[in-house]
Amino acid sequence: MTAETGPDADLAGGTPRFDELIHPSTRLTLVATLASTDWAEFGYLKDRLAMSDSALSKQLTTLEQAGYVGTERRLEGKRHRLRARLTARGRQAFDGHVAALRQIVTAAEGGDNV
Amino acid sequence: MSEQTSAREARDALDAVAGARREVAREVGLPRAYWWTVAAGWILVGVFSDLNNPWLIGAAPLAFGAGHAALAGRLLSGRQRTRGLRVSAAVAGRRPALVTICLLAALTVTTIAVALALHADGMRHPSIGAAVLVAVLAAGAGPDLSRMLSRMLSRTRRA
Repeated sequence: MTAETGPDADLAGGTPRFDELIHPSTRLTLVATLASTDWAEFGYLKDRLAMSDSALSKQLTTLEQAGYVGTERRLEGKRHRLRARLTARGRQAFDGHVAALRQIVTAAEGGDNV
Repeated sequence: MSEQTSAREARDALDAVAGARREVAREVGLPRAYWWTVAAGWILVGVFSDLNNPWLIGAAPLAFGAGHAALAGRLLSGRQRTRGLRVSAAVAGRRPALVTICLLAALTVTTIAVALALHADGMRHPSIGAAVLVAVLAAGAGPDLSRMLSRMLSRTRRA
């Protein structure tokens, strides 16, 4: 059996594990964006999340210190470009967090039906 | 903390995750330069086809196909339309390559039909005329046509 791919494909599952580091909304959007890419450049993330350089750097540093994100500085022409990617650990944490969120929703829906 | 997270908060968070994925999925496609290169190649094939040299008429489309396969092979995945990110294979899926190949086939059929019509109308260089027309279409509307075809395929798949 092959996993369904494409923009309409369901989000990946994982063992439910609520992750407090990922949960704050800005960080969740940042990690979710990175989870849909192989890598993204600092400039793209900044525009996509409408964040200042310093705010985005701070979020990336926090995630990098947790081992969830890896960054790489590349020289293109005369400019340095920063690429960020989700590490295997970060992807696992993200999948687990999404599974935990689903579990909360499912439990509430089950409770509503009683 | 998870005990304190309400179902509504969790639903909002899941919506944010799905929204982020959709935003990245919008980046799937081919670079504008790809369509400009295809347009230039199309005109060259049209010019060679009107030279009345059977070798050139046969070789031009083959050279175009080989050049396309060599240069655009990696681009066809649609994962790196811009320099800002590379979309994951899971999000891009296999659709971009299929859409582009279908579009190129449709452009080929259109070129032949237009060239035949122009020839019947007595035009001196019908292949060049048809190639220029289709090249303008590819360069100007290639990305839009590609998105439209992709949406049609996705609707067909859902139905």
